Amino acid sequence: MVVLRRGYSVPEHVSMFAVGAASLGAVYPAVVAHTGWPGLPCPLRTLTGVPCPFCGMTTATVALSHGEWGSAAAANPLVYLAAILVVGTLPVLLARTAGLAHGPRPWPEAKRRRARRALAVVVALSWLFQLHRFGFI
Amino acid sequence: MASYAADNPAAYANWGQRVGAYLIDYVPIIVLELIAAVSRNPIIWFLFLIASLGWWIYNRCIQAGRTGQSLGKKTLHLRLLSEKTGEPIGAGMAFARDICHILDSLACYIGWLFPLWDAKRQTFADKIVGTVVVPE
Repeated sequence: MVVLRRGYSVPEHVSMFAVGAASLGAVYPAVVAHTGWPGLPCPLRTLTGVPCPFCGMTTATVALSHGEWGSAAAANPLVYLAAILVVGTLPVLLARTAGLAHGPRPWPEAKRRRARRALAVVVALSWLFQLHRFGFI
Repeated sequence: MASYAADNPAAYANWGQRVGAYLIDYVPIIVLELIAAVSRNPIIWFLFLIASLGWWIYNRCIQAGRTGQSLGKKTLHLRLLSEKTGEPIGAGMAFARDICHILDSLACYIGWLFPLWDAKRQTFADKIVGTVVVPE
């Protein structure tokens, strides 16, 4: 059975998740302080000691949601990309939700391939940053 | 039943629906573990651990494997199917899929976020086992 649902683009989906993560980031320190919960560790880093490209994102999200720009950049600069994505897509997202904008049009395959390559470069750079941050390079 | 070869994200369950189904699946386990933690009795803890394991095998492996619907997926009208055949994957593969979810957690849990941008809204585990989650 085909279920008709409102369509959102990939950046909008990621943006919605980022807004949710930022909201959680705003209350995260209070939750940790009251419960003593150590937070979610990176399994790769816990098992091998090697950080993954996304290590520091929780710290960066919490820092950014509290206006600590420098701490956010020091933990993981990817959080700024997420913030830019939210700012850029939020008007479209709101317009789409309100029914003022049409559904997203899928990108041609060549454009999607370019986007995937660009993303791979960004993730690779982020991994280098994390390896440097934890003293591996 | 048709296979799911077309990259049309609207044909698949979205990330929010999948998270919702997952949470519903694990509510009984969370409740049992909380009771066990509060009781601080090792026998209760052990019994509840066995009960949690039993629930996981029944719900996530047998039910999801045979019918395509665990409790969470049934509640949210979703179905776990083979990407190639469009049929439920069987209890063994459903078990393998849940084990493969370990890989979703490996790099800061990024595999769990894959349905946000993946064309077929698959996690790493879905890609390995060849499954998709679709709305009914």
